[in-house]
Amino acid sequence: MTNILIFIIVILVIATLVQIVRVGELLSEIKNKDVNEVSDKDNNTQGLLFLIVGFGFLIFVVWQMITWNHLLLPPASSVHGTQIDLLMKVSMGLIIVVFFITSPMLFYFAFKYRGKKSNNAYFLSHNNKLEVVWTVIPTIILTVLIIFGLKTWDNAMNVEVTESTKLIEVYAKQYNWTARYSGIDNKLGKANYKLVKGKNTLGVDMLDVNSADDKMAREVHLVVNEPVLLKFRSQDVIHSAFLPHFRVQMNCVPGISTQFGFTPNKTTAQMKESEGEDFEYVLLCNKICGASHFNMQMKFIVETQEEYDIWIASQDNLEKKLLTQK
Amino acid sequence: MDIALRNMVKKQLLWISLAAISMFFASMLSAFIVEKADVGNWKEFILPNYFVFSTGVIILSSLLLFFIKPQLKKEKSIFSLVFSVLILGIIFSYFQIKGWQQLTNQGIFLTGVGSNISGSFLYILTLTHLLHLVGGLVGLCISTIKSKQNLYSVNNYLGLELTAIYWHFLTVLWVILFAFLKFY
Amino acid sequence: MSEHHKENFITKYVFSMDHKMIAKQFLLTGMFMAVVGMLMSAIFRVQLANPGESSILYNLLPSTWLNDAGGLNPDKYLALVTMHGTILVFWVLTAGLSGTFANFLIPLQIGARDMASGFLNMLSYWFFFIATVVLMSSLFVESGPASGGWTIYPPLSALPQAIPGSGTGMTLWLISITLFVVGSLLGGLNYIVTILNLRTIGMTMKRLPLTVWALLITAILGVLSFPVLLSCGLLLVFDRSFGTSFYLSDIIINGEVLHNEGGSPILFEHLFWFLGHPEVYIILLPALGIVSEVIAVNSRKPIFGYKAMVGALLLIAFLSFIVWGHHMFMTGMNPFLGSVFTFTTLLIAIPSAVKVFNYLATLWRGNIRFTPAMLFAIGTVSAFITGGLTGIILGDSALDINVHDTYFVVGHFHIVMGLSAIYGMFAGVYHWFPKMYGRMMNKHLGYIHFWGTFICAYGVFFPMHFLGLAGLPRRYYSNSAFPMFDGLSDINALITFFALAGAIVQAIFLFNFFYSIFKGTKASQNPWKSNTLEWTTPIERIHGNWPGELPVVKRWAYDYSKPGAEEDFIIQTEPLKDGEIEH
Ligand code: HEM
Ligand SMILES: [Cu+2]
Ligand SMILES: [Cu+2]
Repeated sequence: MTNILIFIIVILVIATLVQIVRVGELLSEIKNKDVNEVSDKDNNTQGLLFLIVGFGFLIFVVWQMITWNHLLLPPASSVHGTQIDLLMKVSMGLIIVVFFITSPMLFYFAFKYRGKKSNNAYFLSHNNKLEVVWTVIPTIILTVLIIFGLKTWDNAMNVEVTESTKLIEVYAKQYNWTARYSGIDNKLGKANYKLVKGKNTLGVDMLDVNSADDKMAREVHLVVNEPVLLKFRSQDVIHSAFLPHFRVQMNCVPGISTQFGFTPNKTTAQMKESEGEDFEYVLLCNKICGASHFNMQMKFIVETQEEYDIWIASQDNLEKKLLTQK
Repeated sequence: MDIALRNMVKKQLLWISLAAISMFFASMLSAFIVEKADVGNWKEFILPNYFVFSTGVIILSSLLLFFIKPQLKKEKSIFSLVFSVLILGIIFSYFQIKGWQQLTNQGIFLTGVGSNISGSFLYILTLTHLLHLVGGLVGLCISTIKSKQNLYSVNNYLGLELTAIYWHFLTVLWVILFAFLKFY
Repeated sequence: MSEHHKENFITKYVFSMDHKMIAKQFLLTGMFMAVVGMLMSAIFRVQLANPGESSILYNLLPSTWLNDAGGLNPDKYLALVTMHGTILVFWVLTAGLSGTFANFLIPLQIGARDMASGFLNMLSYWFFFIATVVLMSSLFVESGPASGGWTIYPPLSALPQAIPGSGTGMTLWLISITLFVVGSLLGGLNYIVTILNLRTIGMTMKRLPLTVWALLITAILGVLSFPVLLSCGLLLVFDRSFGTSFYLSDIIINGEVLHNEGGSPILFEHLFWFLGHPEVYIILLPALGIVSEVIAVNSRKPIFGYKAMVGALLLIAFLSFIVWGHHMFMTGMNPFLGSVFTFTTLLIAIPSAVKVFNYLATLWRGNIRFTPAMLFAIGTVSAFITGGLTGIILGDSALDINVHDTYFVVGHFHIVMGLSAIYGMFAGVYHWFPKMYGRMMNKHLGYIHFWGTFICAYGVFFPMHFLGLAGLPRRYYSNSAFPMFDGLSDINALITFFALAGAIVQAIFLFNFFYSIFKGTKASQNPWKSNTLEWTTPIERIHGNWPGELPVVKRWAYDYSKPGAEEDFIIQTEPLKDGEIEH
């Protein structure tokens, strides 16, 4: 029924439009004008519209930057992230400046040089000097950006792994995450997908001497200002471990081991103070992985050494969890 | 369009298609190279003897094609020439299939449990090459029939020329594939 | 070609070999697909604004896509997104755009009677048509169409156990895209050969209109990159159907342990993006070509820096082959490789900047006539500026860490690729409609269409950057699962509002288009007072384009408002006057 109604309405609208357009055409035929000829008057209105709507758009952009600023991610909670934020600020600043120079120019030119039958355009086919200038300037700016960018990238990716770097494995599958701590020896036991069975959901090789003291958990606790190296594996399809607050992201690919090292520098408690009681660090999945991709999460908690020690002690190690029968 | 222009257009169409086909194989070959360097459980294989024979056969067939123009100039029949190329092409295909048999005897499979991507790549590369070669064989069949009917002359043998270019391309392609599979 | 067959209905309208008719076939098919793709986006936008709730728009969907409460199923959300992306990228902006304008403009603007091979050209369309039928049919299979994103990354796309759409739907997707690629290759071969060989006397490469240059470079990009998609797809087909392990390794899915070992999903990404990145320029360059022409004609000025424009096109095309890794910064690639890709990627900004400045310089001191086509052309430049700038953020690997795969990316590519190219396509349709159908499109409706689109499009896509900077990932069925995104619901509602409004505005265009085909006012031979050769053909469509001899070209295409000339345009066939220098 509704479908028929909608159909009828659509037909009526089309019929009305046809009539309106016909009338417009007939009117101008009477006035002996071509409706579709662009007149000076059209040029004036359209030019003006570029000025109004164009600048309206720019105002809309500014409005968004002001009103939605508080929704953006808070400053990075990691050491390398702070550098990324700086690079982001510089790059953003730069493109915003360029945006607010070129866009107004475009809209203003459209208005300023709107046509008139009596006017003539200025014949100008090229100007080598100008063209060199506007090739060289972007080149210089980009060189600076590239150098700055590559430095930051290098810094973020080539982290030094030392004795004190804590190793944690993050294991992805449809649709949840599991973490594995390396235990007292700070070494992760070997794992193989063929060993996944029953409670051993990560396929840890319990014959490996490094495995016994490993610990499994459904949330990740980190110690503030202590470097950590996350090792990623996936069981089924590609997932991506995304920790937006730490400026960390890495794909988890079945068959391949990936990693990301960083140093958190703000505890969850600190963040709760500045961002509100509800704040939590979360790990999201950021690579399409199936129906519940949108709901694949795990909590991250950054805390002091003492808090961490208490928590980690409360967790059973794998030996106890997997090998002892209850 | 006059004849000269039309011939040129057809040749260019062929050359550009060859560029496209090359990209197809280049991407597949680079995938092979990258994976070989990367994959932990890459299973080495011994290239079957038959592939060596088939390399010889296809090179020979390509060489024969070079005699076509001189023959045409002398206004001699080229039937036997084209026909032998066709036969060599068929022998090549037969050797390829024999080669696959040798491979399966070695325990190298395209798919399934026990297959390894080294083997899969080997099959895919040779298979897609052979598929392209089938097109060449069709062209050669037509050319053989036409040369039997004496339809070609020095000034008018575009179809044959196009087939020949394509065939040379297949030869070069095979030699490159062979070299990579054998020596890389 | 010189032979002119008698045409009957079938050879004239269906299996036509006339490039102008084939162009219209591409255009109409592309428009149909655009409507389908746009409706899909309207539907999933409604879901994002009101997650899980029902909507009358869902009546358009098969009932199996909905849950009992009338809401959209999560995997079908992904199906919609995937089909939307596939349709718009390949069907609308590759075939619809290149197919239409390459076919229509190349012979007309270079002074040829038709394409080098009318037959291949016809074949190209019909491959495309069958591809369309196959793709559309995948919407009706029981397990749903492909749902792994338009980038179809395996293992997701290889395993039906992972998402239902990876079953029959994905098979059909692959068949369809293969047919599509074959069609595109046939078209591309033809365009290249035609431009290289069939230019009329005097039409040197230096006098080619920029549209033709852009289409030539696009065709070359296509011929070199599409075969890679074929090989990439072929390996996927083997993995899916014949049990090989090119892309698969160490997988347990739904408790089932797969035998595959040794393959690498990353290999797929490399192959895919080797096509994928050139593909975005295959989309963009024809639009830029059209815009160059439209801006010059309607500013009544020569395009500024013709040589630089051609050079920039060439440079962009070349660079587009060595930047694909910027889609893969987060795959764990060697950081040094990441640096290389950052470097090459940011280099593309230079020729792009040159193009923008040259457009601005063309407008400067022009005598701008605002036809609807001109409005859209300026819209393209605006979108190219806005979207191009955010590319500088995404191309920088260090920054990509936090915006990769978020809505920031969605905002970026919709503006720079989606809007630029769609606007360019609209500009082309408005501009060459008189040549296609002998009638004018209604100017006022065109104006309304442009301003409606311009406002709604920025209303949809600009706010997406903020979603991305707030950390919202793309391809999320709903953002209500994470408390951290609760604050974003207003933005989402706003975007959906503009998306629906923008979709309605497109109806004005459709109406104008079909109305004008039948009832539009009759066009004169050269309604825009343009220099290029297509406007020297008679208004009545004839097979062979020019009734008598082919035109002979005496000058470049951009002599607008040349001092000393009587009128503000000089058609390319007009000989140079004594002592007149070219340009
Ligand atoms: C009609 C207006 C349009 C709207 C409202 C719209 C909206 C969207 C949204 C919201 C997404 C992301 C969904 C998600 O990640 O969950 C999306 C994806 C996409 N859109 Fe559009 N879009 C529109 C037009 C276009 C155009 C013109 C193009 C042409 C380039 C395009 C190409 C794509 C592509 C390639 C994707 C990615 C698909 C994927 O993730 O696999 N869209 N669109
Ligand atoms: Cu996931
Ligand atoms: Cu790219």
